[in-house]
Amino acid sequence: MIDRLVAFSEARYTRLVLVGLIFLGLQTTLFNEMRPFGVCLQVMVLLAAASGLARGSEAGAIAGFIVGLLYDMVLTTPMGLCAAVFAIIGYLAGYAHSFVHESTWWSRMILGAAASGMGMVLLPIAFAITGTDGLFTTHIFVVVLVVAIFNGLLSVPAELICRWALREPAAVR
Amino acid sequence: MAASPFTRRRAILLLSLTSVILITLDLRGSALVNFTRSAFGVVFRPIESATRVVTRPIENTWHGITNYNDVVKENKRLRDLVAYGQGSTIAAVASVREAQELLALNGLPTLAGISSCTAQVVGQSPSNYSQTVEINRGSECGVKVGMPVLNAAGLVGKVTKVYVRRSVVMMATDPNYSLAVKVVNVPPTTTTTTVPLAPGETSTTTSSTTTTTTTTTTTTTSTIPGFKAGSTVPTASTAAPLPGESVPTGTVGPNQPGKNTKSPITVPAGIDLPLRETGALEGRGLGKAPIVRFVENQPRFGEVFVGSPVITAGGATSLAPPDVVVGYVSRVVKRTGTLGPILEVKLSASLDNLNFVRILLYQPSTERTATP
Repeated sequence: MIDRLVAFSEARYTRLVLVGLIFLGLQTTLFNEMRPFGVCLQVMVLLAAASGLARGSEAGAIAGFIVGLLYDMVLTTPMGLCAAVFAIIGYLAGYAHSFVHESTWWSRMILGAAASGMGMVLLPIAFAITGTDGLFTTHIFVVVLVVAIFNGLLSVPAELICRWALREPAAVR
Repeated sequence: MAASPFTRRRAILLLSLTSVILITLDLRGSALVNFTRSAFGVVFRPIESATRVVTRPIENTWHGITNYNDVVKENKRLRDLVAYGQGSTIAAVASVREAQELLALNGLPTLAGISSCTAQVVGQSPSNYSQTVEINRGSECGVKVGMPVLNAAGLVGKVTKVYVRRSVVMMATDPNYSLAVKVVNVPPTTTTTTVPLAPGETSTTTSSTTTTTTTTTTTTTSTIPGFKAGSTVPTASTAAPLPGESVPTGTVGPNQPGKNTKSPITVPAGIDLPLRETGALEGRGLGKAPIVRFVENQPRFGEVFVGSPVITAGGATSLAPPDVVVGYVSRVVKRTGTLGPILEVKLSASLDNLNFVRILLYQPSTERTATP
């Protein structure tokens, strides 16, 4: 029983959930208050993109889904919507990264920024599909730009955290 | 390695299916989803509180850097406003009391008779695309979904989710927000300034439309011949007086059947009162003023003017009681034909700076459950 619990706690997605909870705490407190240019910075989408960059498209999609589901828990939007969008972001980030021949820190920053910006475009589209109107305004461009720049800057440390969280259990020790 | 593409496809298919199922369940109002969110809220609350404590110095530093000048300016402006407001508060309180007494005297519902629960805004939505705030009162205070939320200035929104010690409030600017409202059409007052005439000079009268001057004149024209709005007009009965009966003149009393009367007919000053028309207030999203639709294009109501107050309409199905201040008309978009105008509304409450709000513990009669 204890072995199973230890094995569960060492599972990579368990670690991701714990990291996700910390990021969610930061999202709902610090980044909710800091709003440069009136934009709420989105570290949850950064986590999804960084997972894809760290561990490839498949792990990125699953990690993005888990992170999005955590985010859905605190939002009033339909449950599963952010999960779906973040899964796409995680997948795309990992897929795009697979085309980079020799990955450097700046290539990861660019991919992290691009994936985050795409997430900010896909979110209102997903909201519109589920029946929310009035989201397509010029403010989206500001949101995309600010979130992309901020997440681009933080994508390298975020990728390191995701690389640790999504490591195989044996390799953690 | 051959199984890898199959696994990838299966994983993506599973994720997609799970998302679709979850979205469908939530949109259909599944109790399971609500329970999961509620349970997660309980688990996540301590983590959030701890993070808030840890990150508060960073938040304060950030606000100190970015908002210092604004805070100083706002502080000066608020001092002026407080000084200005103190004078007018006394007069306003007296007027409100008088109005409430009048409404109570006539058996009409007033906001003073509705219980309320005061709450503090503890957070806003971390998303850039939804306009909700979280308050620190919930079902323990009697809050239910749909109840109207106000602050000192006017309507803020309505409660959309209720937990034990917190609730989520959808703001009036949210695209999903809709409420029945009344537009009180107040035409701009006409000021007539008469220039004193010199001997042998012809008269000159200038008119302007402004509300800042203190001398206002309203001209009322009655269409009923011989009647004047707001006046009490004595009239004679058509029945002839009985033989030998004296006809009292100038006395007022109850009418007697078959006898002549001199009872006056009172014509209420209805023409002077501002006319009201109902419509539906709808939010339009971030940075856009809400609009009022379905205002009928009636000649009686006349043209809607910018600055006309907008208040809640109330009614059996409306989620808000009547006469809650919403705002005023900031722009009128005219439409051709019989379509009424679309009115842009400037909300009285500043939704960017919410702190304390009041939840009216009000439910429309159609929502009340029958007691056994």
